[in-house]
Amino acid sequence: MNRKNKTHQDPPGWAERLLARITAPHIREEVLGDLYELFQKRGQRYGYTKARLLYVLEMLLLLHPRLWRKQAQPAYLYTKPTDYSPPNPLVMLSNYVKIASRKLNRHKSYTLINVVSLSLGIACTILIFTLVKYHLSFDTFHANQDRIYRIYTELHTEKVIYSTGVPNPMGEAFQSGYSVAEEVGRIAFFKKRVISISPEKKFEEDIAFADPDFLSIFNFPLIQGNPQTALQERNTALITDRIAKKYFGTQDPIGKLIRVDSSLSVRITGILQNLPPTTDFHTEIYIPFSNLQEHSPWMVEKDWWLGFNKEMQCFIRLKPGVSAATVDSRILTAISNKYYDKETAKQFRFKLQPLSDVHFNPKLRGYTEKKNLWTFALIGFFLVVTACVNFINLATAQALGRSREIGVRKALGSQRGAIFWQFITETGLIAGSALIIAFGLAYVALPFVNQWFAIELALNPLTDTYLLVFLVLLLLVVIFCSGAYPGLILARFQPVLALKGKLSQQSMGGFSLRKGLVVTQFAISQLLIIGTLIITNQLRYSQQADMGFRKDAIVILPVPDSKKSKINTFGAQLSEMSGVENVTFFDTPPATEFLASTSFRFDSRPKAEAFNISIKSADHQYIPTFKIPILAGRNLNPSDTIREYLLNETAVKSLGLASLQDVIGKTATINGRSGTIVGVIKDFHFKSFRVAIEPLCLTTWSEIYNSCGVKVNPANLEPTLSGFEKTWKALYPSSIFTYRFLDEDIERFYKLDNMLLRLIQAFAAIAIFVGCLGLYGLVSFMAAQKTKEIGVRKVLGASAASILWLFGKEFFRLLLVAFMLAAPLAWWIMDRWLNNFVYRVELGAGIFILSILITFIVALLTVGFRSVKAALMNPIKTLRTE
Amino acid sequence: MKGTQLGEFEEIVLLTIALLYDDAYSVAVVEKLSQRLERPISLGAVHRTMQRLEEKGLVISRFGEATPERGGRRKRLFTITIAGEQSLREARHIRNELWEGIPKNAFDHLT
Repeated sequence: MNRKNKTHQDPPGWAERLLARITAPHIREEVLGDLYELFQKRGQRYGYTKARLLYVLEMLLLLHPRLWRKQAQPAYLYTKPTDYSPPNPLVMLSNYVKIASRKLNRHKSYTLINVVSLSLGIACTILIFTLVKYHLSFDTFHANQDRIYRIYTELHTEKVIYSTGVPNPMGEAFQSGYSVAEEVGRIAFFKKRVISISPEKKFEEDIAFADPDFLSIFNFPLIQGNPQTALQERNTALITDRIAKKYFGTQDPIGKLIRVDSSLSVRITGILQNLPPTTDFHTEIYIPFSNLQEHSPWMVEKDWWLGFNKEMQCFIRLKPGVSAATVDSRILTAISNKYYDKETAKQFRFKLQPLSDVHFNPKLRGYTEKKNLWTFALIGFFLVVTACVNFINLATAQALGRSREIGVRKALGSQRGAIFWQFITETGLIAGSALIIAFGLAYVALPFVNQWFAIELALNPLTDTYLLVFLVLLLLVVIFCSGAYPGLILARFQPVLALKGKLSQQSMGGFSLRKGLVVTQFAISQLLIIGTLIITNQLRYSQQADMGFRKDAIVILPVPDSKKSKINTFGAQLSEMSGVENVTFFDTPPATEFLASTSFRFDSRPKAEAFNISIKSADHQYIPTFKIPILAGRNLNPSDTIREYLLNETAVKSLGLASLQDVIGKTATINGRSGTIVGVIKDFHFKSFRVAIEPLCLTTWSEIYNSCGVKVNPANLEPTLSGFEKTWKALYPSSIFTYRFLDEDIERFYKLDNMLLRLIQAFAAIAIFVGCLGLYGLVSFMAAQKTKEIGVRKVLGASAASILWLFGKEFFRLLLVAFMLAAPLAWWIMDRWLNNFVYRVELGAGIFILSILITFIVALLTVGFRSVKAALMNPIKTLRTE
Repeated sequence: MKGTQLGEFEEIVLLTIALLYDDAYSVAVVEKLSQRLERPISLGAVHRTMQRLEEKGLVISRFGEATPERGGRRKRLFTITIAGEQSLREARHIRNELWEGIPKNAFDHLT
């Protein structure tokens, strides 16, 4: 073979290099040579292309442990002695695992403390991660969701009122006048309407009237029916699969007729796929927008620009490249200017809200603020930190006990890296098992969390890549955060000192760090305790404080039909029943989360007042039923139309009048309807404690009454309620009977806060528990270390109390330092939270003292339990052990 | 004795090493065997077997000359040891005994 063509006929270089890399040094040369020779021979016989393929094939067939196994014994006298392989930590892995499991087995309590605290911390973090991810994934599955917006209304009067709704002509005006949007979908939501399939089969369901565009903006696919014609034809409906199953079972729902309330009869033409849990659209029945005319004509009054309803919404998808800011500043301003006169155009402003904001903007009825999610994420982080701190503390404290082992290892040639990795392996074992336990715990706890939050979280790392990645990352972070520092400490040991046993706790250099870590733990626990206490206080205050009206033992019944005759009959029948004390009809109970407000003109003043006033319509029984005190004048006279008004104190104050008597007998024009002011009522909280009391008026207007409040005798509730049901059903046979209690209704205002509270309570408990575990471990270790010292002290006459103080003083100093850190931070955070409430508890010193007391007692119990045992030990026994 | 137990493939490779006598190295064994057995033999299999034989002490090895057709690399040449010869003979002996033990008409029913 000549040299010239040899260069062109080399075996594939990459394969050669790869093989050279994995082959053990003592056979590398012959293996490569053999393959080379075979390659050349085959190349001449079959051609070099085939030879190359065969080369790779042979290489694959060579793969076998024998290929990279090191030479068993130096039996080969002929091998070159220069082959050197770098240290390989992987080879030591089995040894590391063996040593680690032996060690963990020996120190069972140490292992147990670490595994328990890590798994509690990790379990909470997994849950929090799932929760945060769940909320962040709301409505992210729509195509082009970054271009989907909702038009909302800002009403600028004395203050700004935000509403998710728009005046009903907005959708049309936007679509016909401007061409920035691909699709414009109007939608009107209605809660709890009666859907009847037959006179006997009735359901209460949320419904929505929507434009056909709605389905092309949002990704709610049809599984039956034609998406082109869906929502086009009048008197049709789309329902979800779930509703179809619920109504019709296994029958084919297409073509079936359903009745909506009493006004509309629609035919089902399509079935929507079940809504995913992560969407803010919960409506499962959709009816064409054009049908709204028959159902609720008042909502689509033509060219009525002066009112808006929060349920009358308008979604758009902008064309690519159109920015929301331009639409806000040009088009929506132009719409205001075009359809309003100069004065009102200043008040009515419209803006675009991105779809991603819908879930997170409480001003516009979003579920929660993103801030809350980050708070949770932070708490989860804290819990993991607490658990890692335990680990570091215990591991560094125990490091001394391993000095012999490390010394021997180092003397036998272990390098720092190897010892470090050995410790990381040990940490990995603990953290890995903690992760598995944590996942199990999270899995078990998940149904409860779902129940608390009324959500549908799922934990399945096999289908959920984010969760899987999170788990792996979390494991790595935990291993390195908790393993790295003790690992470095161990690796730094001087072998001579370590073998002589001359290393001391001080030379570990870790005690100041450990102090710092204990302080961190205490601080986190105290932060959570203070937070829990303050939230509990505020919520108790909100829920138990006097709202200014009677709220116990009042049952609220719906009134589906406000015809005068029906109301009168119903009222009369109810009053006759035993156990009923008062009956009143109204449109809203004393406290609601939302209440519309409107303009107010007083007496003969030329212009409307600068403030808006909220209206409640109710009959003359409202005041006595809810026990609202009248400060001046008299109660309303029975009437069915607006004749008289009652104002609250704030309204009188806002008018700028000094005496309450000044308003009595004057005319008020509210929302364009005039009446005489006959009395002033004491202020009561007609919204939640988050907002200040605003001007309010009360008037009679039977047309819009939709509820009935009954003060019942709580002693004999059951028969009274069933009596209500019988009477009610006889009167309103086409509707569904429901009832609720006023106080439960009010509690619902604080639902999210209550959930927050429970969650933070749980987390605080876990953080404290984990912290205590760590403390216990640390104290036990100290006790073991100081066995002899205690013995000597006792022999020399120390009392048990002074020995207890030996243990205690250090920890209590740390606790105080932690309090110094936690208290201002907690004060700052909680003050901001309390600022959400206009009526709030004050942050007194009491809460802070209580929190430090709680931590103090818990720490005392933990430290005391172990140290009492140490202090009471017989010195003879402790001194005898050598 | 454990060391002298020969597997079938080991036996064949060992025989081939004996056959090749002075030029017994893996590629030569692979070629000879592919020829005789009329099926492709992978270098890996031969290589591992030869390593195993050496561990059992049935062959010893030494490096040969570096040659250009091997890209300047040396080959490992194998020579059979006394133990190797003994185990081959033993294997043959067992086979022969077995053959002789077969009754004359054992295969009659097949024809």
